[in-house]
Amino acid sequence: MSVDLSSRSFRPYTGEKARITRAYDYLILVLALFLFIGSFHLHFALTVGDWDFWVDWKDRQWWPLITPLMGITFPAAVQAVMWEKFRLPLGATLCIACLSIGTWIARIFAYHYWNYFPINMVLPSTMLPSALVLDAILMLSNSLTVTAIFGGSLFALLFYPANWPIFGMFHVPIEYGNGQMTVADLLGFEYIRTGMPEYLRIIERGTLRTYGQYATPLSAFCSALLCTLMYTLWWYIGKWFATVRYLTKI
Amino acid sequence: MKSRINKYLLALGLMLSLLTLNSQTVMAHGEKALEPFIRMRTIQWYDVQWSKQKFNVNEEISVTGKFHVAEDWPISVPKPEASFLNISTPGPVLIRTERYLNGKPFMNSVALQPGGDYDFKVVLKGRLPGHYHIHPFFNLKDAGQVMGPGIWLDIEGDAADFTNDVKIINGETINMETYGLSNGIFWHVFWGLLATAWLLWWVRRPLFIARYRMLQAGLDDELITHKDRLIAKALMVGVPLLVYASYVMTTRQYPNTIPLQASMDQILPLPAEVNAGVVNVETLKAEYSVPKRALSLTVKINNNSEKPVHIVEFSTANVGFYNKALPLPDSGNSEPVLAVEGLSLSTIEAIKPGEEKTMTITAEDAFWETEKLDGLTRDADSRVGGLLFLADDTGKRYISSISAAIIPKFN
Ligand SMILES: [Cu+2]
Repeated sequence: MSVDLSSRSFRPYTGEKARITRAYDYLILVLALFLFIGSFHLHFALTVGDWDFWVDWKDRQWWPLITPLMGITFPAAVQAVMWEKFRLPLGATLCIACLSIGTWIARIFAYHYWNYFPINMVLPSTMLPSALVLDAILMLSNSLTVTAIFGGSLFALLFYPANWPIFGMFHVPIEYGNGQMTVADLLGFEYIRTGMPEYLRIIERGTLRTYGQYATPLSAFCSALLCTLMYTLWWYIGKWFATVRYLTKI
Repeated sequence: MKSRINKYLLALGLMLSLLTLNSQTVMAHGEKALEPFIRMRTIQWYDVQWSKQKFNVNEEISVTGKFHVAEDWPISVPKPEASFLNISTPGPVLIRTERYLNGKPFMNSVALQPGGDYDFKVVLKGRLPGHYHIHPFFNLKDAGQVMGPGIWLDIEGDAADFTNDVKIINGETINMETYGLSNGIFWHVFWGLLATAWLLWWVRRPLFIARYRMLQAGLDDELITHKDRLIAKALMVGVPLLVYASYVMTTRQYPNTIPLQASMDQILPLPAEVNAGVVNVETLKAEYSVPKRALSLTVKINNNSEKPVHIVEFSTANVGFYNKALPLPDSGNSEPVLAVEGLSLSTIEAIKPGEEKTMTITAEDAFWETEKLDGLTRDADSRVGGLLFLADDTGKRYISSISAAIIPKFN
């Protein structure tokens, strides 16, 4: 560490100095807000993409696998900085809240007002419960390992049940065209997407299918395992990003 | 400096996300974008008709038509194993309420058979007023979009009048435009408030510099209070419990849910309409004259029907070349690109029953260039394809597919 302060000689800032550091807090927070809204939302749109955009992509296998896996990236990196440098256990919640804001803005303006899709067809999923638990575990454990294993797993495991209250009702069956389909499927059929034919949907595919009804829990546990690794990886990315090498006096 | 970079990044990010969103709408008019051999030798559309061109919000119209899947499917284009009949629109200005292929409901994608004949019907309902150019087209998996003929549609009325009610399996009627929306917003707000409370709990105290200094001074313990720990413990236990409770509540409220449906439709071709075997056409040679912008086809026609037949039309990539010697037939509102110069034949006499005749058909028109079909002579796969329509005096129609390697004539 390049800054040396001992507890005996420590004096908290007062007066003008305290006011300036507080102003600095708000400046950083506002900048962070915009940075995360833009960058995390973009990262999410490019990686999770259609699984998060469309209600008829939110299946039992790929959606609960991919979404937490890509959703834990920025939270891990920001937690690394916020916790290691400031003992602030809010990295995950801050990131996911920013993501939610960015996503809602895009859904309302880009999807609804610009491209005319009803908002219920492009409802975002939520990872806020997962993020709150991740922050709480990091704070209580003060350990990367514990947070990666338990926090990472819970982050993935909570995703599907936390979103079922939002999306479950889109899975009620409808008799249509001599078959059954979900409300979500019918939204996809009725509201024309020229660049998104039905066959492009990567849903309900792959070997997990051989487990039939248990596809979702298996998918979630698979995601939990991967989230543990992903969390660790992005923790180090965050740590590497937030160097104090150039900080000499504070 | 940092904030400026952030702003640039944000702007770049927004631009990029808009670009990815917008690519869907831009593609709607790529009808001439695909190489000519794909437009000529994959889905060969004909008889496309719209029930109406001017209609109101909430009013249903239909588009019907036929297509032949070329036997001479290009080797470089993946076979149509998953194909989706789509409508090119600038977003859902219309909704698709029904779709049929060969009279069967067609909700998913289907495997088309090269050489097969199909007819289709799509029922659409006006949603947003406006003036739109709309085409039926096929999304072909791994191959791209093959456009059908386009038409201008006028939707009139008030967008606010649009309704889309559907009956779910338990008999309840739901509004597709708003179903699940307020419930979804409720859960986002619920978790959003909890997250905001947690963030405010921390943000209200001095943050970065103050905490960094204290941490460096080894005062970790003062940064996390007893109360903080209590709240974190409550969150760690309470949030999963809340999630579980809300999940169970939902499964009780909606006990009969099904997974998203991901099956293919199975629809077989109709009995042959093209190359049905009564009037047979064999393409002997195809030459394209670059300066004249003219395609000359030498064909051997074998009439096994009981009446004399004559050539009516040669159609390829939605361009129709009609026999000059005949009056232009009424093609309804399907608006295919009509080649004004039409089709000239080496002999105008009809082909008698039982007769076998070799003749040259010339389709000369600037459309070869304006429709970007002349690129054919410089393609890796330089074969021409299309449909030749013949008819007898009673109007009975015989359709044959044309397929041959093309030979360019540069002067
Ligand atoms: Cu058009």
